[in-house]
Amino acid sequence: MNELAAQVQEAIEQALRALNEERGPEEQIEIHAQTCLFGEASVLDSLSLVSVIVDLETSLSDMFDRAISLTDDRAMSRDPVPFTDVGALKAYILELLA
Amino acid sequence: MTDYSGKIVLVTGARRGVGRLITEHVLKQGAQVIGFSKHLDEGEKSEQYRAIEVDVGDADSVAKGFEQVRKQFGRVDIVINNAAVLTSQYAMIMPAAAVKAMLDVNILGTFLVSREAAKLMRKNKWGRIINIGSMAASLEPIGDSVYAASKAAISTLANVMAKEYASLNITCNTLGITGIATDMLSQLPKDKIDSVIASLPLPRYATPDDIFNVIDFFGSERSGYITGQTVFLGGVN
Repeated sequence: MNELAAQVQEAIEQALRALNEERGPEEQIEIHAQTCLFGEASVLDSLSLVSVIVDLETSLSDMFDRAISLTDDRAMSRDPVPFTDVGALKAYILELLA
Repeated sequence: MTDYSGKIVLVTGARRGVGRLITEHVLKQGAQVIGFSKHLDEGEKSEQYRAIEVDVGDADSVAKGFEQVRKQFGRVDIVINNAAVLTSQYAMIMPAAAVKAMLDVNILGTFLVSREAAKLMRKNKWGRIINIGSMAASLEPIGDSVYAASKAAISTLANVMAKEYASLNITCNTLGITGIATDMLSQLPKDKIDSVIASLPLPRYATPDDIFNVIDFFGSERSGYITGQTVFLGGVN
């Protein structure tokens, strides 16, 4: 994994860890590339997903010193949306940063 | 009076009219105030006031404005969505550009600012979003079809956001003001406004203190159980 990909992976995991800090022991999310974030199999309710996305947008914007939107028209018009799971989200962010 | 010491209050349309009155009021009560305006004043009002040039109807401009807020202050506690545009005209001769300008500032602007504010407020699990509505939303005066609709819309926006943000301890409410002497009101024929005011249950113009009273109420620590409400001045309902 190159440095950029590692930074993005860490940012996603940090956003999910921040969410875990607010959840009880029995609600902890397992964090890995296949962790499902969106759709029927999602481990997140809709408000938790919003929270993760907003945290991630903020940390990425700080990290790369530019506005990063994960929910703009480009993202939302994709089918499937680019945050189905951790791996897909990471790939989409790397695409935005390319 | 509500004590705003330690609170960071963001007011849109802070440079003129009702926004300026509210800005001066909360400054006097100890708030750190951030004023979003499309054009900046030449001088800032005090050390406790930070003006930021933001076009609330433009998503990029709002995002950049909040980026400055986040980097400089780290949070915002109370947002007062005051910025508004009014063009009064019979619908059959209302230009589309005037309609778009009202919708962009009055509805889209209120939405964008509330959205970005909630992103900051959620970290502290505390926030107050207060929309400045208008008696026009209820009285539906001739010539104000779009303005009245836009003011009704921001009340609905607040009601839905109240539900979305409830778990974050962010309240969203609307203050429906009546006529008060401002630049905006002076654009309208005085006889028309006088006639509307005379028809109110409390037939007089609003004073600044009438407005501050409700802003203080919605903004106070004690109003955490008050959300999704619209309070009209003057007996309008």
